[in-house]
Amino acid sequence: MDRRNFFKIVSAASGGLVTGACGKRGEQLIPLLVADRDVVPGEESWQPAVCGECDAGCGVIVRVMRGERVIEVKGERLREPVACIKKVEGNPLDPVSGGRLCARGQAAVQGLYNPDRLRGPMRREGPKGQAVFRGIEWPEAVQVAVERLKRARERDPQGIVYLAGPQAGSRARNVRAFLEALGAPPPVTFSLADFPLERKAAETVHGWQGLPVYDLANARYVLGVGADFLGTWVNPVYYGRQYGHFRQGRDTVRGTLVQAESRLSITAQSADRWVPVTPGAEVFFLAALGKLLLDQSLARNAGVLPPAIAEGFRSLDLAAALKTCGVTEHRAREIAQELGRSEAPLVIAGTSEVHTNSLQALEAAGYLNVMLGNVGRPGGVLPPANDAANQRPAFTNVVPLIAKAQVLILDGVDPAYTLPAATGVRAALEKVETTISFGPFVNDSAAYADLLLPDHHTLEASAAVVPAVTPGSGVMVSTAFVQPLYTTRATEQVLADLAKAMEVEFQPIAARAVAQEIAGEGHAWDEIQQQGGFWAERQAEKAAPPKPAARGRAAAEPPRTLEVSAASFAGDAAQFPFHFQPYLSVQHLDGRGANLPWMQEMPDPTSSAMWGLPVEIDTQTAGKLGIKNGDLVRVESAHGRLDAPAYVHPGAMPGVLSMPIGSGHQHYGRYAGRGANPLAILAPVWESTTGALALGATRVRLAKLGPEKQLIQFAPIDREHGPWGYR
Amino acid sequence: MGVSLVADQPKAAEHRWGMAIDLDRCTGCEACVVACHAENNLPVIEPAEAARGRTVHWIRVDRYYEGEFPDVKVKYMPVLCQHCDDAPCEPVCPVYATYHNPEGLNVQVYNRCVGTRYCANNCPYSVRFFNFFEPHWDSPLELQHNPDVAVRMVGVMEKCTFCVQRVQRGKRDAKEAGQPVADGAIQPACVQSCPAEAMVFGDLSDPESKVSRLAESGRATRLLEDLGVKPKVFYLQKAK
Amino acid sequence: MKSNMATTVHTLPHDRLQEDVWRPLRETSTRYVITVLLVGAVALWGLFCWGYQIHKGIGVVGKNRPSMWAFYILNFVFWIGISHAGTLISAILRLTHAGWRKPVTRAAEAITVFCLMIGGLFPIIHLGRPWIFYYLIPYPNQRVLWPNFRSPLVWDLTAILTYLTGSVLFLYLPMIPDLAQLALHTTGWRRFLYRTLALGWTGSDREWHALERAMKLMAGLILAVAVSVHTVVAWDFAMAIAPLWHSTIFGPYFVVGAIFSGIAALLLIMAVIRKFMNLEAYLEPRHFENLSRLLFLMCLLWLYFTVSENLTAWYGNQPHEMQVFGTRVRGQYAPWFWLMVVCNFIVPFVLLGIRRLRNITTISISSVCVLIGMWLERFLIVFPTLAHPPLAAAWTTGYNPTWVEISIAVSTFAAMALLYLIFSKLFPIIAVWEYRYVPDE
Repeated sequence: MDRRNFFKIVSAASGGLVTGACGKRGEQLIPLLVADRDVVPGEESWQPAVCGECDAGCGVIVRVMRGERVIEVKGERLREPVACIKKVEGNPLDPVSGGRLCARGQAAVQGLYNPDRLRGPMRREGPKGQAVFRGIEWPEAVQVAVERLKRARERDPQGIVYLAGPQAGSRARNVRAFLEALGAPPPVTFSLADFPLERKAAETVHGWQGLPVYDLANARYVLGVGADFLGTWVNPVYYGRQYGHFRQGRDTVRGTLVQAESRLSITAQSADRWVPVTPGAEVFFLAALGKLLLDQSLARNAGVLPPAIAEGFRSLDLAAALKTCGVTEHRAREIAQELGRSEAPLVIAGTSEVHTNSLQALEAAGYLNVMLGNVGRPGGVLPPANDAANQRPAFTNVVPLIAKAQVLILDGVDPAYTLPAATGVRAALEKVETTISFGPFVNDSAAYADLLLPDHHTLEASAAVVPAVTPGSGVMVSTAFVQPLYTTRATEQVLADLAKAMEVEFQPIAARAVAQEIAGEGHAWDEIQQQGGFWAERQAEKAAPPKPAARGRAAAEPPRTLEVSAASFAGDAAQFPFHFQPYLSVQHLDGRGANLPWMQEMPDPTSSAMWGLPVEIDTQTAGKLGIKNGDLVRVESAHGRLDAPAYVHPGAMPGVLSMPIGSGHQHYGRYAGRGANPLAILAPVWESTTGALALGATRVRLAKLGPEKQLIQFAPIDREHGPWGYR
Repeated sequence: MGVSLVADQPKAAEHRWGMAIDLDRCTGCEACVVACHAENNLPVIEPAEAARGRTVHWIRVDRYYEGEFPDVKVKYMPVLCQHCDDAPCEPVCPVYATYHNPEGLNVQVYNRCVGTRYCANNCPYSVRFFNFFEPHWDSPLELQHNPDVAVRMVGVMEKCTFCVQRVQRGKRDAKEAGQPVADGAIQPACVQSCPAEAMVFGDLSDPESKVSRLAESGRATRLLEDLGVKPKVFYLQKAK
Repeated sequence: MKSNMATTVHTLPHDRLQEDVWRPLRETSTRYVITVLLVGAVALWGLFCWGYQIHKGIGVVGKNRPSMWAFYILNFVFWIGISHAGTLISAILRLTHAGWRKPVTRAAEAITVFCLMIGGLFPIIHLGRPWIFYYLIPYPNQRVLWPNFRSPLVWDLTAILTYLTGSVLFLYLPMIPDLAQLALHTTGWRRFLYRTLALGWTGSDREWHALERAMKLMAGLILAVAVSVHTVVAWDFAMAIAPLWHSTIFGPYFVVGAIFSGIAALLLIMAVIRKFMNLEAYLEPRHFENLSRLLFLMCLLWLYFTVSENLTAWYGNQPHEMQVFGTRVRGQYAPWFWLMVVCNFIVPFVLLGIRRLRNITTISISSVCVLIGMWLERFLIVFPTLAHPPLAAAWTTGYNPTWVEISIAVSTFAAMALLYLIFSKLFPIIAVWEYRYVPDE
């Protein structure tokens, strides 16, 4: 579909659909009599928006039609015509989503119409963490917030801690400006799906700011290491599209994918070959490959490598490295040969499982790409399009910040769920004097809030979002095109209200301003708005010959060395014999999708589990412990334990237990309660450079509890033929 | 492959809708599963009922593991109603609630269905689903309902329709524009959503359509081919 | 046994026979009342469960995908099978002029009618929307919509309704002379009932001849209908392309199974009636002896069909079929399979095959076993196949019946008992006139 054919998006966005939050009673009655002007019964319109289900920032289009909701006015039940959102699809103009959308994004509409969504501001009634709230009106809510902020500001502005979602764009800009006006520190973020290590490695190896873009579509031989790019890595829609082209989009070429990972992830399942790597030993595998490529002169661009790095690769003890990562020499040589001989080789490395040494692995992978000569080339690694780093909240380990916060503002993060219990995050949240939550739901963290100031749902809000990964510079915009369902208020608006009451200088920055700034001169707002964003031409196509970025940096800075060292794990190997790998789930990501019923009943691609996710146990271990599919097991680390159903996984590495993240919320509505939270039992181990939580650094032990069948599977059989069918 | 998989049916109507699913592109991400839920008002089945095997997914992604660690392979296969030309579900319905429309779609007439569930027994692909209870949506989730698709009542079978509402709309739009239906203009929700573009929908009676060409390609097979039910969904096998 | 032979029906004056048979119609014991109340309560509970199921939705039963047919269909086949007790047996015996059949026929024919009434209910209970079950009936309507005559379910409906009609006639016609006789000896509402039902029977030669001709015709017709009914029931399964259902053997296999279970049910009911209605003099050991020989024959036939079915499946070794075969013979359903073999073959073969062991008690034990075994056979036909469709991804963990299904199944046995109790209170359970009237051959 091209722009001419793109008839779905009508220009109604600028029309009168937008009605602000109703303030007075009299105003509330008017919609009962007068239908929204632009919503004609039976007629659909498609409006552009930005998906808010993860931080990738895919452009979407939204089908809007007239519907009716039942509301109660003075005890009387009335039917009110409202503009309803029926479906969310990818925006065909957006080069990131290309008109496609992942499962989570399509379920966004269930967040909008979720029965457990907050309908207005609320104040805490019960003890912290119990999520007992009482509804209040906005003026009171703003007044309370102002009081608390004023008090904290007078004492020490550093005590105001704002935890924001990692997205770059208008929200981040507004928050930053607001905090600046208050004299408070800038917003920080903590997310399991932000991939700070990938950013850091891109900076050290290539000198790039942001997430590198892998041109999978044009690559011929791809080695994925630790990056589940088809599942839940930086943008599965973008890489999913690329993957389709990579496999069957070219007439004569079918790309080959080899995936090295300690888990049979979705990407590993799709790969031609899966190379199981010992958890935390990815760097040894990559370094070994580098050595093989250099030693056998297979690296066509070896000369570009900084000498210290090349020397680092060459001096590696190959046998020891391969032993550490558990890959046979034969296999490693084979992969090195294939990489070296391919016309368009590509190494995609990522941290779907963060270890203490993950940065080393990512850097090694970066240097592999450098020596393979694919940097900046079609089918290679492309530089990030948006120099958006300054617009993003900084990633950091937030536990110490929460501990010293006086006023804690939660906006798009859920530290109580995503941080291990051993960090003491819940106790820290309990001690914070005032916690304000902007989220549209009460999640595990908001349960500790004193004040809930619910934002609109992203589909009701107006925003400009800079996508995390994009082939060319771009920005996605969404303009509010339906009337908010409840008396929620845009957080930008609330910030402005607060600033006004506190008499500080803050003007909210409109999405329009942010978008136009990125688009630059010569792009009319109307056009941007109607298209749902602005996208520059693809960079890969007009990419200049590769700039030897690594060399440039190497000249400017003291030469870096290749670091190859073992990851550290928490827990004694004798007492806790198993590796434990919680991973971002396709359904719930880092847990934020757990309140969507469609996501709960979508079968897990690995285990086919619904409504609560299992621990994945390899067949050997299961056989030894007498564990059968669906049995209840106990996973215990030095820092806690969880009880969850077992899934005996035919493709799990022996000695490695994996578990998708997303189950086991204590709060988050009626759909999210089942199962156990694997993050809770992790040891508080962090990657030292970025402060990312080392997801895979905890060792555990495993015990069978009993045959209670908590596991709900859509398809319990995972072999094509039953035990009796073929003999 | 000597025998044509496509041209073994007489051309009765103007269109004969079919689908090709490229298993080499499919990543098993299940975007199609959710797209189908959103488009077709599928009921959400609560955990207690799901545990009893009553979840409704008009399209599902079958996954099979092959081999043992470390040489494990996984086979993903999106399975939806295959819209068989000789659909075994059709003759067994005592009240004509399963019906073959002139364009080859195997459609279910909900109002006519009495719920014998015979069609489900006779479907070799197990893609027919039954409403064991009156479907329920926690308010206001029902605001999302697609007004083009009926919500099914208790006691009736339901199944993939190839998004017949989208097919009709596409035909209507083409008619209004005074042009034939363009290849690719009609996309069921699953096809529309697929990031890897693994699914292609189109007119099998048009030999030039993308789906026809894919169905004639050497990689095309049909599920449970030996049953002879002549499905109209073609699976393109992984190939080097 | 010998001691009983002294007072057989042939040595008794006819008045004594009439007296013995009619006694239950006049006298009602407390035991009878209590039994009726008990089974009536159970039957009512079943009705309540059905109401609950309609109110809540069919989901209150244990069915799932892919096990869309389960308990109800299994019981349907079981009851229809037992229904072959009566008519079929009495028709065969009538056509072959087996004189010993006389005290057995009515009891058997009543079984048929009631079993059909109960069995015929099951498909309706089983429907997702039972309130529109009449969509299956071909009747002129403004929508000009007919049922789909290609569907085995429509054949089934037709066959069962035909069989029910035929069986009612077959039960009713030979009852007319007895009803006329009863009308002469009763008063009040009974007299009215019997007179109405007797249709003005006077006992003229012409009437006797007409009755005789009608019975001969009916006996021939009902045989054909009975065979076709269970064949059609078998075709409900065999017409589907599900593994191990799609088999040519199913028609005769089901008919044999039906007669097998029918005879067992008849023997059991005879034993019960004999004991509780004090009809030892009329239901003689030789009746049991003769019927048990038939049971033994059917037992062998059943074995033959079971071996044929399973041997061909095993020898053919087709994956989808072998999966079902495997779960049945070696897998999760194996205990039931082998219990079925014990019940249907080993127990009756030993107890009936060895003459020394054969008496009314062992015959009754064999009958109970056969009934259990045949119920298991239907279970093994319905469940394993449906739970294992060709695509393994559609298999679920299995099917468990809920209290609703079990209640309804149990209550149908109570309903059967209730109907039989009421019948035996209203109508003579032995055809008295058959002893008096010997047709001229």
